[in-house]
Amino acid sequence: MILKLSAINRSFGAIQALKKTDFEIGESEVMGLVGENGAGKSTLVKIIGGFDDGYSGEYTLDGAPVRFSNPSRAEKAGIAIAQQELSLIPAMSVAENIFLVGDTVPLFSTKKSLALKAKPYLEEVGLDKVDPSISVNRLSIGEQQLVEVASLLAHDPRVLILDEPTAALGESDSVRILEMVERLAANGKSVIYVSHRLDEIFKICHRITVLRDGISQEPRKVSEFNVHSLVESMLGRELENMFPERMELTGTAPLLEVCGLWPDATVEPFNFEVYPGEILGLAGQLGSGSGDILSAMGGASGTREGNIRYKGKEFLPKSPKEAIKAGIAYCSNDRKLDGLFLGRPIKENLTSPALGRISTYGILNKGSEERLALGNAKKFTVDVTRMGTEAGLLSGGNQQKVALGKWLSIEPNIILVNEPTRGVDVGARAEIYGKLREFANEGKAVIFASTDIQEITGLSDRIITFYRGMQIGEIVLEDISATKVLEQITHPFGVHQEVKTA
Amino acid sequence: MSKRLIANARVTGLGFVDRLVRDYSALVVCLIGLFLVVFIVGMATAPNFLTIFNFKTIIRDAALVGIMAIGLTFVTLSGNFFLLSMKETAALCIICFATSMSSGYGFEISFLLTMVLAIIAGAAQGALIGIGGNPIVVTLGAAGLLFGLGSWWSDNLVVSFRRPHGAEWLGTGSFLGLPNITIAFILIAISAECVLRYTNFGRQVYLIGANRAAGKATGHENFPMAIKVCIIASVCSAFVAIAFSAQVSSAHVNYFSSEFGSSGDMTIMVIATVMVGGNSIMGGFGSTLRTSSGAIFISTVDNMMVLHGFNSGPRVLAVGLMIVFSIIVFALVRRGSRAQE
Repeated sequence: MILKLSAINRSFGAIQALKKTDFEIGESEVMGLVGENGAGKSTLVKIIGGFDDGYSGEYTLDGAPVRFSNPSRAEKAGIAIAQQELSLIPAMSVAENIFLVGDTVPLFSTKKSLALKAKPYLEEVGLDKVDPSISVNRLSIGEQQLVEVASLLAHDPRVLILDEPTAALGESDSVRILEMVERLAANGKSVIYVSHRLDEIFKICHRITVLRDGISQEPRKVSEFNVHSLVESMLGRELENMFPERMELTGTAPLLEVCGLWPDATVEPFNFEVYPGEILGLAGQLGSGSGDILSAMGGASGTREGNIRYKGKEFLPKSPKEAIKAGIAYCSNDRKLDGLFLGRPIKENLTSPALGRISTYGILNKGSEERLALGNAKKFTVDVTRMGTEAGLLSGGNQQKVALGKWLSIEPNIILVNEPTRGVDVGARAEIYGKLREFANEGKAVIFASTDIQEITGLSDRIITFYRGMQIGEIVLEDISATKVLEQITHPFGVHQEVKTA
Repeated sequence: MSKRLIANARVTGLGFVDRLVRDYSALVVCLIGLFLVVFIVGMATAPNFLTIFNFKTIIRDAALVGIMAIGLTFVTLSGNFFLLSMKETAALCIICFATSMSSGYGFEISFLLTMVLAIIAGAAQGALIGIGGNPIVVTLGAAGLLFGLGSWWSDNLVVSFRRPHGAEWLGTGSFLGLPNITIAFILIAISAECVLRYTNFGRQVYLIGANRAAGKATGHENFPMAIKVCIIASVCSAFVAIAFSAQVSSAHVNYFSSEFGSSGDMTIMVIATVMVGGNSIMGGFGSTLRTSSGAIFISTVDNMMVLHGFNSGPRVLAVGLMIVFSIIVFALVRRGSRAQE
């Protein structure tokens, strides 16, 4: 074992995040690190990467005890960490970004010599076709992730930590990340792979360490697990059903119709409708337009033409404020950007869209605020004792529950959700799915967009598929299958046919 | 990788500052301690420091800067940064008030005229900021405009009006031994805090300040907010201008550039007060209670230095040090409370 942590304890105030946790990784091994949100994965990763030295316990590298007081010391010792948030500078070239940090480059070097030096690192991450002299903002997010890893490789690390590298990526970019991990392991690097996507864990990891409530379980070979047993050891209980049972649809008149609505970012206008009690899934990869149509319907982004027909009226909300008034809630895919007030208490987040409901003549009624917030919190099993805590202190899964749960406060008729479970663990996922289903069962409707095939096929009553800004087809309940969805969102016109452009 | 590099990762314990910030209560004790230190030093070294009369002086000195700073706090909390036109707004308003008084319009009419002027100035700046103008650029421009207008209007001369006049109660009057301006400061501080805590509007100030994009997504737009907070700040400026004019029965555009506090520049004193109070410059966190305490703290230190005969140089230095110190302390407190995840 080149890296070994034993009996690590770490607490923050009264909360003990890690309890006698053990962790180890061997030469050229891919170790999966899994657990629910708040299980202690981030804390453990931070300790390994030198971001946090307030722990007790032993940390050894090659048998020698170490303690890193900051990340750059860990990096010098050969431990590199790729963060969830990209740290690249968009306007600089790929090569410049790779050699941004550290002293691996002579003071005066030309663009050309830098590009030449960058080449081997790019090859190692599978970006051999990318020109190192173009600027980073011309790459896809997936490619940017790979550049980020390439910049870590420039320091010749022995242990690489990838913390949810595919959380923000579509299917095809994710595949490139996985290929890269396998290549790195073959080249003798050890990789700690943190992910909520269990299919990836099974595909590339050699062993898996499961964390539950800050307690680690003995790492086991991936062949000793199946999806079911892995989920069970993560949750400590059996997860009966990830996806809630579908109900018979009764309504025949559409609750809302999209009539030739053309979002700025797409190639053509869209037409579809949603029925009462229905969960409609919009399937498509990143940039397919499935998310753009949702934000357009919610008044959050611009459109060229078209309307929605809702409650017998044709109109289009010009701002989220108007959408809220009409009973349409739009939850974006980026909770940190516009979903949460991170510095404000959970309570204020949960009631933020509904201030009018908790005030009379502009005076807040603390009692009704408390009731409204607690009611929503309980529905989404957010810890009700932490209502005064800043939302930013919650784990990813709980943050998503608050970002979504706040919309219940306006008692909407329609919820539009873009990526309902990005970066959310299995347990919280099942809960979010359950709540969305419960909401639809009240005769209301949910429209969600997702790049996660499992989620699309498991939750939707009906699916509309999108490809490069175009609406491709509709898949009804009886026909829903992963292959069918994948086919329509990746090669809708056949593999060889040229795609029409804007 | 060599063993040498691994050995480089030295074994460290927790630093003093780390320990301090990890324990929030320790920090609060430190802050209260600091206040006490200032008091004890003041008491021990300046014989007149610990007198009722001096306390009244401290609060009265804090009042004018404090009222303006409370107005500005709304702007800062809502994430619209600062208005750099605070003293120029006051300058135009004081000319307006004094001219109206000297023309014999009486207190009520003059007060109303001045307030209308302030509301227009505030709303115009707020609208420009609300549509996306940079607050610094917009209010810097507005500052020049307002000051120029005031200067032109008054021919850069002192406008005076004769005693007795209808504004004396505000300028020099007192109630139960407290100057009326002090009472106004206390009332404004309490009501501002209540507005922020207990009203729909106050909540929106915090939400938009904490995350403007999320505010928009939940139906709280910055355009009307920017206009409202700028009007509040502007009206507070106008009130201070009126009170000051009432005190000295005259007006000049330069009153707020030279007469105020240790630094002599009202805008800088007001911004310093907001910051020393520990409000987040980025918005979303803070309160007018903090601003009021900031005003009193600055005034206390300044008072002590005056009693010791310091001239303006060291007193400006002290204000600067207080700003730096408070930024560091409050940044550490925030980081400390966020260390967990």
